[in-house]
Amino acid sequence: MKVEDEIIRKRQRERARIMALLLGAFVILLFFITIAKTGMNW
Amino acid sequence: MPTLELTNPAALPADWRDFLALTKPRVMSLVVFSGLCGLLVAPVQLPIVLGFTAILCIALGAGACGALNQWYEVEVDAKMRRTAKRPLPAGRMDRQSALQFGVGLGAFSVLLMGLATNWLAALLLAASILFYVFIYTIWLKPRTAQNIVIGGAAGAFPPLIGWVAATGHVASLPLLLFAIIFLWTPPHFWALSLFVRSDYAAAGIPMLPVVAGFESTRRQILLYTFPMAASAVAPWLLGLTGVVYGVSAAILSFVFVVLAARVAANRATDPAGMDPEKHLFAYSVFYLFALFTVLVADRFLPW
Repeated sequence: MKVEDEIIRKRQRERARIMALLLGAFVILLFFITIAKTGMNW
Repeated sequence: MPTLELTNPAALPADWRDFLALTKPRVMSLVVFSGLCGLLVAPVQLPIVLGFTAILCIALGAGACGALNQWYEVEVDAKMRRTAKRPLPAGRMDRQSALQFGVGLGAFSVLLMGLATNWLAALLLAASILFYVFIYTIWLKPRTAQNIVIGGAAGAFPPLIGWVAATGHVASLPLLLFAIIFLWTPPHFWALSLFVRSDYAAAGIPMLPVVAGFESTRRQILLYTFPMAASAVAPWLLGLTGVVYGVSAAILSFVFVVLAARVAANRATDPAGMDPEKHLFAYSVFYLFALFTVLVADRFLPW
């Protein structure tokens, strides 16, 4: 039972990390989309 | 990580790698490539970030199709050697998670495409996802041997979507690119289904070799390569591309026809004697990559 709990926590941690990375990337992407759509020339 | 035999692996939260596997990354690569080519040959240059987002949306849409396909076909996948180790039939993920992931990914890709590029591209992306899931996976695939013929339209959308993302409208060149992939799909999949026929038969999928037999399938493979080759050289004949593309398309298509003729002449019923089918399948993947690469190169060459 303890080992199963450990696996569950490990998977939850990994999924949370991936989700955080994807959300961070999405925010950055939205920022650059906004810049491109508003026609600012960087 | 400790290894142990879990009594019910599906009760665990699925591993993120299994969500990635649901998207069929290998299939996605061809979709992304053809979408990128559609975008690059368009006469309008999108800002890099918008072009990247358009391709990302096409990739996510294809991933959604893969996830929803696996959600629906879990029982069939469990019966085939080729697919039995996928996350759902192997019991590493519950069906509800796959459904939620697929629907969420599809909706996200369509919305992002609409916001970043234009809503016609988003509409086409939505249509391709819905076509793949409802028309191909749910309706045609389990019912008719022509599943690949009509269902092939779903895989033909990416270059059209890429073009429309850049230009905002449909034109004759992307429609021809659509036609090339549409007509390429039957010989490509039938070549594969000839040497994995027993898998499809065991799973009850009415692929053409299962329903119509080897000879009829081989004849139809050859017959489909002629309109495919014609549509491949059509952009040049219509003056939409240059001579580099035209000559390359003619040579690549000629080799395709020769390999298809070898398949048509083969009489083997055992996969061990199906080298012509295996060669055609491998070449068909190379053919599409090469054809679209030359198309893009032709667009940027100075002559």
